[in-house]
Amino acid sequence: MAAHTLNIYMLSLGRMHCHIYGRNVHKALNRATYATALSTNNSSPNKGFPDRGSRGPIIRRPRREEGEPRKDRMPVDQDWTAVYPTAAPFRPGSVPLPVRMGFPVKRGVPPEKKGNLELIKIPNFLHLTPTAIKKHCEAMKLFCTEWPSALDTNVKCDEHFPIKIECKDYVSAGTSIRNPSARIVNLRVSICPNYDYAMYLLTVLYHESWKTEAWESEKTVADMEEYSWEDSPSQKNALSTLVRMQIAGEVEGDAVRDKLLGRPEVQEYRESVIRLMNEGESESSILQYREAVKKLLKL
Amino acid sequence: MTLHRLFPLRLRQTIAQVRLLHGSGCGHQLEEVAMEPELRKETSVFRTQVNDPACQSERHLGQYYTLPTSHLHTIFPHGLPARYQQQVKTFNEGCVMVRQPALELISYLKAADYSKPAVRYLLYGLKGSGKTMSLCHTIHYCSTQGWLVLHIPDAHLWVKNCKELLPSSYHTSRFDQPIEASNWLRNFRTTNERFLSKIKLRQRYTWTKRESTEKGSPLGELVDMGVSRVKSSSDVVGAVLKELRLQAAETEESEGFRLAVAIDGVNSLWGRTTIKKEDKSPVAPEELTLIHNLRKMIDNNWCGGAVIATLSQTGSLYSPSSAYLPKELLGEEGFDSMDPFIPVPVSNYSEKEFESCYLYYLDRHWLQHPHSESHSPQTCILVWSFLIPYFN
Repeated sequence: MAAHTLNIYMLSLGRMHCHIYGRNVHKALNRATYATALSTNNSSPNKGFPDRGSRGPIIRRPRREEGEPRKDRMPVDQDWTAVYPTAAPFRPGSVPLPVRMGFPVKRGVPPEKKGNLELIKIPNFLHLTPTAIKKHCEAMKLFCTEWPSALDTNVKCDEHFPIKIECKDYVSAGTSIRNPSARIVNLRVSICPNYDYAMYLLTVLYHESWKTEAWESEKTVADMEEYSWEDSPSQKNALSTLVRMQIAGEVEGDAVRDKLLGRPEVQEYRESVIRLMNEGESESSILQYREAVKKLLKL
Repeated sequence: MTLHRLFPLRLRQTIAQVRLLHGSGCGHQLEEVAMEPELRKETSVFRTQVNDPACQSERHLGQYYTLPTSHLHTIFPHGLPARYQQQVKTFNEGCVMVRQPALELISYLKAADYSKPAVRYLLYGLKGSGKTMSLCHTIHYCSTQGWLVLHIPDAHLWVKNCKELLPSSYHTSRFDQPIEASNWLRNFRTTNERFLSKIKLRQRYTWTKRESTEKGSPLGELVDMGVSRVKSSSDVVGAVLKELRLQAAETEESEGFRLAVAIDGVNSLWGRTTIKKEDKSPVAPEELTLIHNLRKMIDNNWCGGAVIATLSQTGSLYSPSSAYLPKELLGEEGFDSMDPFIPVPVSNYSEKEFESCYLYYLDRHWLQHPHSESHSPQTCILVWSFLIPYFN
């Protein structure tokens, strides 16, 4: 602490002298100030760490020495499934291959695998070597049955199982491990030679479709495939408009409603609204709607 | 704005430099249109002296008629499109072209039976095709015929950029917009001065414990109250609309009147808003008092008037810029509310209308080109502006 204050004093003194004596002396004095500045003694036990003053030194546990990386102790005929039994991130010390990955900076080479984040980020298949897959198959055999011996040719398979489902898997390099084309699943049905079986299937489906499940009664307007004018807001609006347009005194009832619905202009209006809703809008459908409304409102 | 670009003398050279302002949706191709000399008759008339919309007919199609200055200030304090207002200021006169959609609407209004429920008319068309101007033409007709005009110049302004949103005192789940409501009441007062003393209120309205408007007092008192007491102006708007709706049904003899409800941008009533509540959740349009009351006006359960509305994609929220057909912009809910309505299509300028417009601008010395007498600048303007009225 005392040395510290002495330094400051010397520096300020040096600067004052500069003003009086001129530039040459300034240099000499500067050298003098630098010399004194270097002579401080840092007595903290932690090298490289800042002086904590009166709080005391930071005590860290001594770091244990690194052992030899696993790859150096690997025999050639080792069991790789023990190194990578499951999907795990890339460990440079466990993979004995001199892999390099990354951008070669300044026309150099791609960086090595030690401490390489690029290798850790990407998915790896180190846990799926052929040996590993054989082990998986052996384990799964316990749960499988034998392939039927009668189905030994493709022709026989097609005969008994005419419906085939194809799923495709894709391997590609990109930002995502998912490939949207892999979502497409193909279902193939060959009709001949077993036409009878196909007809049997279709008959079954036909009869099944007639059965109404309990949840089908919960179908809402939004679920309907086609627009139906009956019980739609459009029908209600049209009816109420017509009723209001009628001469006052006419009692509204079911008979009046049916009479109104039977009128030709109402039918024309109904057609135009159905066309508008089902086919979508276009100039011609709007004009047809316009003519129908004009007739309805007697304009 | 394209007109400014027409000012440079070398029109041919500027063809390459001009870019389309609105590129989307139109899908037209840049092609040279060869105009026959026969169209450029010396006798082509672009102005008509018939300034009363009731007397205009097909003979006047494509011709400009002048809006009297007094009408401009009273009938349209807030209704005209911004560019048109600038044009009126520049030319010192307001001239409106007589076009087919407006004439059609006026003919329907003339032929309608006003003891029946109000008919809804909807003007639709591409951007810049002249829907708002057709609406203004129709409003001018209604005004000259002595109707009471309820003009909402842009309903989109009521569902966005609301600086002050107050919870409604009348109904707990709704919100008031005091600034918009009081502005509208002020303009309503300017437009319909003569009705304010004639119409009497049918019921008593209580605003606070101490303030109320008595039954039988004139409508003007209610409107003045709404303009001065900004906090309750949204409810005043609701009361005004209700009174007008009830009283429009009367016949002419018992001091009845015809009511024209003119709404520009009606598709905003059923869309979405960009107004947020304090907890950042969006406000639905029906939660706004002004919109709620306006929707009641659009219903056809009242008689003695008409509802004339335009669809507008510009200024609308969350709708694609290429949409212009009624069902696209109104949505399911809007279509069901407006149904049955009469859609009136508004198209771009025809060749004759374009010719008229061109001659009008020449007459006003807006187009100043030494070769104005020849045909080529006209071809250029035709090509650039694609016969869209907004660009003319």
